Amino acid sequence: MIEFRNVAKTYDGGKTYSVKDLNLTIEDDEFLVLLGSSGSGKSTTLKMINRLIEPSEGSLLLDGKSITDLDLVQLRRSIGYVFQGIGLFPHMTIAENVAMVPRLLGWPLKKRVDRAKELLELIGLPYEKFGERLPEQLSGGQQQRVGVARALAADAKYLLMDEPFGALDAVTRDRLQQELLSIRRKVGKTFVFVTHDLFEALTLGDRIAIFHEGVMAQVGTGKEVMANPASDFVRELFARPAQQLKDFRGML
Amino acid sequence: MAEQSIFDFLKERAPELFQRLTEHMMLTGVSTGTAIVLGLVIAIFVFHYRSFREPIMAIVGILQTIPSLALLVFLMTLVGKIGMTPALIALTLYALLPIVRNTLIGLESTPPSILEAAAGLGMTPLQQISLVRLPIAVPSIVAGIRTATVVAVGIATLSAFIGAGGLGEFINRGLALSSTRLILLGAVPSGILAIIYDLSLAAAEWGIRPVRKIDSPLSLKQQRFRRRAAASLPVTLFVTGLILYVVEHPGAQGRPHVAIGSKHFTEQIILAELMAQTIEKGAHIDVERRFDLGGTLVCHGALLRGEIDFYPEYTGTSLATVLKVKPIIDPKVAFVTINKEYNRLYGATWLSPFGFNNSWAIITAGGASRKNSWNNISDLQPQANHLSIGLPAEFAEREDGFPGLEKVYKLKFEKVEDIDTNIAYKALAENQLDVAAGNSTDGRIDAYKLKILSDDKKYFPAYQSAPVARVDTLRKYPQVERCLNKLGGQIDDAAMRALNYEVDGNHKSPAIVVATFLKLHPEITKVD
Repeated sequence: MIEFRNVAKTYDGGKTYSVKDLNLTIEDDEFLVLLGSSGSGKSTTLKMINRLIEPSEGSLLLDGKSITDLDLVQLRRSIGYVFQGIGLFPHMTIAENVAMVPRLLGWPLKKRVDRAKELLELIGLPYEKFGERLPEQLSGGQQQRVGVARALAADAKYLLMDEPFGALDAVTRDRLQQELLSIRRKVGKTFVFVTHDLFEALTLGDRIAIFHEGVMAQVGTGKEVMANPASDFVRELFARPAQQLKDFRGML
Repeated sequence: MAEQSIFDFLKERAPELFQRLTEHMMLTGVSTGTAIVLGLVIAIFVFHYRSFREPIMAIVGILQTIPSLALLVFLMTLVGKIGMTPALIALTLYALLPIVRNTLIGLESTPPSILEAAAGLGMTPLQQISLVRLPIAVPSIVAGIRTATVVAVGIATLSAFIGAGGLGEFINRGLALSSTRLILLGAVPSGILAIIYDLSLAAAEWGIRPVRKIDSPLSLKQQRFRRRAAASLPVTLFVTGLILYVVEHPGAQGRPHVAIGSKHFTEQIILAELMAQTIEKGAHIDVERRFDLGGTLVCHGALLRGEIDFYPEYTGTSLATVLKVKPIIDPKVAFVTINKEYNRLYGATWLSPFGFNNSWAIITAGGASRKNSWNNISDLQPQANHLSIGLPAEFAEREDGFPGLEKVYKLKFEKVEDIDTNIAYKALAENQLDVAAGNSTDGRIDAYKLKILSDDKKYFPAYQSAPVARVDTLRKYPQVERCLNKLGGQIDDAAMRALNYEVDGNHKSPAIVVATFLKLHPEITKVD
């Protein structure tokens, strides 16, 4: 369980808020999507969980313990992290990339290789064909799958994903969304997923937290939010895609 | 006399070429190797501890701007030794900058997305450097190492000035003897060596790149083998160089031997070679030749430290440069004074002077001197305001040079030109210049049929030449002292000019010129 209690992140010595007075609880095994446009504070919220960004105010609890009391390196190794930039290590093979966190954790080689094989199988890039390749030899979509496999490698309880499919074409994105859901069914984990794409949020999330100008405007299941938008902003957010969908149906 | 054919020249020099090459490989290999290790450590240190960065980079940068000869000589004084040690330190310091700078640039060039991944996965700052930043920096680091190596091969040629050997020996000797062949014998192999090092490093960089799995006729295993072979090329070269060096330079032999040094100009090399052959033939003691050292103070320092036992010196130079006192005009007084001071201060002594006096000289064309009946410098006085004189820069500036000469002889020339002696002699012969200042034993004076005017007012101090020796060496080998003293009075000004001309003008090697001289004077090397 991840709990935000009155959390804020400020810049310029406290003058500018990028996240303001956030209270949010993420349940175990939940798939929570943080939805908002750029500058809304959704990514900052995510990165505070693994302390890539340190909170300025309030407390952030991981399974009841304040994250500032936990060892930074241990904290990050116990949380999977996938982001739009992917950041595969260009000088390591795919298998070595996937087995990075197990290596940092000091697993023996045999166990690391077995784990890499298992995960590459799971994401549909079998070790025999892809394991010895270098990242530059893979397409963008394949690279992002490797990024997901790398985040899963140490069997972390939490998986943070920061717009992981943002740079991919629509077809690839759609397929990866489906694969992510199927992976989710196989591995019991808590997912926190950042996106600016409403449809992606609706496809993946159990609940959606909507961010606007540093403030969490509303949180709930897709249906709840659509039925009872808490503000004009939320209403607007859904109105425009709904109109587009209608127009599109009319064309058919 | 015609020069040797290229083939004979190479055949004759081959053993020394090999020896110098191994020295060069040792110098560059060890210094660059040290600089790589040191440079990586420094770069990683200042990358991690940012506050040290500016000062350390400034120091490393400043080192690079010190002229290499100055740094070599400075380190020689600091270390208190001539030879390999100061040369290795200087070369290592020079190689540092490109390696440190390129490593830093490489460490900083990691794309931000990869850094975010490294941090996000839970790497410690040091793991981020060792697992991610450093491997990604490899191409940049190798580029720095390549620059450093090529620079080191070049600068290593300068270390011959402080007696460290290497291919620079040939270049120095070639410059001193104005022999293009000798210069090329040093320059071409060092150029080739630089190219070979550079290529081997390029191959090594390819070798340590990660292997891509591609459709290649070679299996992954074969590909990896080839990569490893390429990666180990520079190390192989380095080790080969070291082994050859050790084979070529077995530790100091137990056999009795003495070491003779010289400065880096023709006359010095001839005199040192003369001393060496006299000792070898007359006393049957092995001689280690450490010629072409970079100047009076280098030779003097080496003598004090016992790195050489003998070298030829001039009384005038010794007074001005070593003892730093006013010139003494009377040659006998000068010699006795210097000898006393050397015994008292340095545990060194001057042996019998060779007989010639290499002082400044005022020279005219032979024809002009006959026509105007110029024999003494004073004879120029009445006509001086219609005459032109050419001076080497050094002579023009020194108070005991031209300004003093003008005063003592009351000369006022129409035209005074700064001109290199090489050109001055030719200009005299072609009547483009009336008078010039030069050295009294220069071989070209006779070759151009020039005349030295007599210093009738005894203005120029004497520059008598004699072997300087360490007293303890003479005590150990008294037969060497007897031997060298037989050279006393054997060479007058004309004889020295003739010997110089054989080397400078006829391009014969000093060893051959000296051997011929000794054959004509068998009494010198006759064993008592």
